[in-house]
Amino acid sequence: MPRPIELFVRYVDAMNRRIGRIAMNLLFVLAALLLSSTVTRLLLGAPINWALEMSQFVLSAYYLLGGAYAIQLDSHVRMDIFYSRLSPPKRALTDAITILFVIFYLVVLFAGGISSTNYAIVYKQQNYSAWAPLLWPIKVVMTIGVFLMLLQAISTFFKDLAAARGKPIA
Amino acid sequence: MSSELITLFMFATMMALLMTGQRVFGVIGFVGSAAALWLWGEGAFEMPFNASFQVLNWYPLITAPFFIFMGYMLSESGMANNLYRMFHVWFGPVQGGLALGTVALMVLIAAMNGLSVAGMAIGATIALPELLRHGYDKRMVTGVIQGGSSLGILIPPSVVLVLYAMIARQPVLQLWLAGIFPGLMMAAIFAIYIYVRCRINPELGPALPAEERARITWFERFLLLREGLMPVAVFGIMMGLFLTGVTSLVESSAVGALLATLAAAIERKLSWKVIEDTTRKTLLISCMFLWIILAALCFSAVYDGLGAIKAIESLLFNNWDLSPWAILIIMLLSFVVMGTFLDDTAMLVIVAPLYIPLVIKMGFNPIWFGVLYTMTCQIAYITPPFGYNLFLMRALAPPEVTLVDIYRSIVPFAAMMMISVIIILAFPQIALWLPNLYSGR
Repeated sequence: MPRPIELFVRYVDAMNRRIGRIAMNLLFVLAALLLSSTVTRLLLGAPINWALEMSQFVLSAYYLLGGAYAIQLDSHVRMDIFYSRLSPPKRALTDAITILFVIFYLVVLFAGGISSTNYAIVYKQQNYSAWAPLLWPIKVVMTIGVFLMLLQAISTFFKDLAAARGKPIA
Repeated sequence: MSSELITLFMFATMMALLMTGQRVFGVIGFVGSAAALWLWGEGAFEMPFNASFQVLNWYPLITAPFFIFMGYMLSESGMANNLYRMFHVWFGPVQGGLALGTVALMVLIAAMNGLSVAGMAIGATIALPELLRHGYDKRMVTGVIQGGSSLGILIPPSVVLVLYAMIARQPVLQLWLAGIFPGLMMAAIFAIYIYVRCRINPELGPALPAEERARITWFERFLLLREGLMPVAVFGIMMGLFLTGVTSLVESSAVGALLATLAAAIERKLSWKVIEDTTRKTLLISCMFLWIILAALCFSAVYDGLGAIKAIESLLFNNWDLSPWAILIIMLLSFVVMGTFLDDTAMLVIVAPLYIPLVIKMGFNPIWFGVLYTMTCQIAYITPPFGYNLFLMRALAPPEVTLVDIYRSIVPFAAMMMISVIIILAFPQIALWLPNLYSGR
């Protein structure tokens, strides 16, 4: 594989790994948020009206930012009845072709994310709730998450291609 | 093309692409987004993202990572080893006792776990090697673990039932309560099967030899009972707070995760490695789970836009003129067929919006249908070609358990699950008694 591609793969993987490791710990943020709101509600008798929505935002960040790391560790489930019987090079070849479908989906998702975020910023879109938070920050985070997924899918495509040609990228 | 044909075409494309072994979420998302662009042109490009955004209003989904976390805490910390040991000494002396103990273990794990992955991991890595070492028939015990771990999605806390509750707009608690007795009934059926088979053919599951029994003192036996208290306490406190309304569903899940961590700490089994492994695995499974939901939402938004629900309704009621029961049974059969090809989470998001309005319209109880759905899902979970449990079993089981063993082992268990579904179909009270009791009906 040409050197720029190898560099791309290496940087994308390193970046997504780091972001995934951070996203992993958002679970504790989520827990702290929920538990503290529970305690406050029980002690003061007044619920924090934004806790649930905020938790939902954190959850979205959690799996959108962590998704790329999950691709990297091959944790997204496959229907592998035939796939598992293929030899490793053939598997890599099939993957290199079929991941283009995944990339297509992620591109559409990304384009939609940008346009939707843009709308949310221009029209100061708010959530329909008592707290009524602005929606653009979470949309930005989600769109970034989708973008990271896209980068990871492209990196995986190159890795599969290299493996199919018998010269895997380490 | 008519909307029925387009829907059919989408499903066929999805099935074909899934066969290639590409990641499930990617395939479903591709078919959904490509169909949107093809049907409605460039203007529809925002649809997949907007469909995903819907998840933000599904608050109960916040529970998913916590219930997954609880299960992994149980397996990663090694608390499950002690649990296994407890059932080992208490059930061991009976013929087939270790397998019976494993069923009980699986029920207990199901009560601390929202999906079936952790039960599977514990069963395959802790119980299975022990059972094989004691000369148990490998086909029988492989089946026990696969059948038993699927209880995780029926016995509360169940993430699958939470997802169903959201789609069907039914209270989560009612569904959880409805899942308890069918889950226990299924466990009892497994236990009877094991007991009878080992009675007929003792070689399948020998009792613990006398010398090993002699080594276990009564003191040790009672000491080990304490191990079982931990998960029961975690489950009891969490459900107690939830049932009495002290904590909401979402809060309860966070409390449960905290309690599971505390339980590990009290047992002196909490280390940085345990926390790190549990957190990482929780992230990976949660990402897989939620990305499949995102993609499935995109897919279902397309045929929603096509009006496929109306089309199927008119097909079933007007063109085929079927009775409600026939429709219900066709629906369940379609779950089994689809479930063998499609991931069950995706199936729920894709098919439930089609079926649930019909179920309610026909006068059936949607809570009962949710339990039936989950039970049919369990069958799909363990039957090839597509089943998480099969993949996991293959990855985790000791090498002497071959793929053929795994496939053969599930036959009796799948049959018992079918029988359970039929029993619940015939006697809805088994599922509905507890939720009705709770709501005072």
